[in-house]
Amino acid sequence: MTPAPVQALRKSRSYKAVARALWEANPISKQILGICSALAVTVQLKTALVMSIALTFVVAFSSLIISLMRRAMPRNIRIMVEVSVIATLVILADEFLRAFMYDVSRQLSVFVGLIITNCIVLGRAEGYALSNPPCKSFVDGLANGIGYGSVLMGVAFLRELLGSGKLFGYPVIPAFFYEAGYLDNGLMRLAPGAFIIIGLFVWLEHTLLSRKKGR
Amino acid sequence: MSESARSFFFAVALCVVCSVLLTAASTGLQRRQEHNMRLEKQRNVLKAVGLIVAGKPLVESQIEKLYKEKIKTFWVTPEGELVDAKKHAGTDLPLYVRLEDRTIHTYAVPVESDGLWGKIYGYLALENDGATVAGFTVFQHSETPGLGGEIEKEWFQKEWIGKKIVDKDGNFISIRIARGEAGEAVPERMRPHTVDGISGATLTGRYLTAGIRETLESYEPVSIRFRKNMIGVP
Repeated sequence: MTPAPVQALRKSRSYKAVARALWEANPISKQILGICSALAVTVQLKTALVMSIALTFVVAFSSLIISLMRRAMPRNIRIMVEVSVIATLVILADEFLRAFMYDVSRQLSVFVGLIITNCIVLGRAEGYALSNPPCKSFVDGLANGIGYGSVLMGVAFLRELLGSGKLFGYPVIPAFFYEAGYLDNGLMRLAPGAFIIIGLFVWLEHTLLSRKKGR
Repeated sequence: MSESARSFFFAVALCVVCSVLLTAASTGLQRRQEHNMRLEKQRNVLKAVGLIVAGKPLVESQIEKLYKEKIKTFWVTPEGELVDAKKHAGTDLPLYVRLEDRTIHTYAVPVESDGLWGKIYGYLALENDGATVAGFTVFQHSETPGLGGEIEKEWFQKEWIGKKIVDKDGNFISIRIARGEAGEAVPERMRPHTVDGISGATLTGRYLTAGIRETLESYEPVSIRFRKNMIGVP
């Protein structure tokens, strides 16, 4: 039996919205958005984590700001306004990384800047923030960012473990494995490896979801 | 107010707010970013002259200390003479020298080459015979990640070590980046001067080949002196 408060929480609308973003309509594994960056930054957990945080920051605050402006915003220049807000936030994140996490920012190269074109961000602005109050939009942005980040981290975990035998840069595969002839999987260090893993994630999620629905 | 006037003023206000934010961030963080950039250049010079080995990264303070201890900046006159950093003329070129026991072990020249999408900045280090490449690094570029962007990767750069910029008779050849893998397609006599290219990045390779040639040509006067063993530390 699930305790009563948890059941009540599960019925609330914000819980449903967050659960949707994290699982049922996960940006990567369900909506298949943001695949390009998911392939590029998931060789290591460190870069994937920084990228996830940067994207979560951008999508949460762009949703908040756009939602705050939604009544004042002239409809005919809507998309331009949204993109300006997103671009400003992305440049801020990029400048910040360059100043305080230089080596990670070098590894991420253009992919931080490319958050501007990430469909998740504009998608949430258009699809949610324009028609919902600021608080809810912020939470929606946060949940979508985390939904994106969780898949990124999952892919990066497998890729770094299988491709380099490390996690967050620390070797985790014992030396005697290598002595016994174990080899790191080079495919996992290349983009096609990420394709395969993301494909498996998509398969897993679709299977679990359809089983839940009894289909 | 008409609809279009409202849109216009809204857009102007938004632009002002965004630009103020961006200017503030960029000026506020500038000093730290420049510090990072300077450190990255030092790290690249050290890597080019063989003081930093791949897989053994150094922390900030170590890089600064090592650079101060081992690297000295000189300027090269058009005749190929070294002058002290304090009294160089406008036409002189900078040269980063690795000193061991007061003699020159290796010297690195800054490379500024065209690329496919923007400038490529890096260092090419030569041994004190003036002919053998000691290392090549890239610290800034805007090539496509995964294609031309591979020029910053270890596998590409380690190919350069040991290549010759002159042939057996001492004629200047420079270094050429092959189309794809160098291998059998390259004539025997050109092999010491050719490195493996990157598949999918033929143009980056072509631009960089031209940039390297140009750089090495402008440093030929000093390289010739190194070959003839006519160089002294000022």
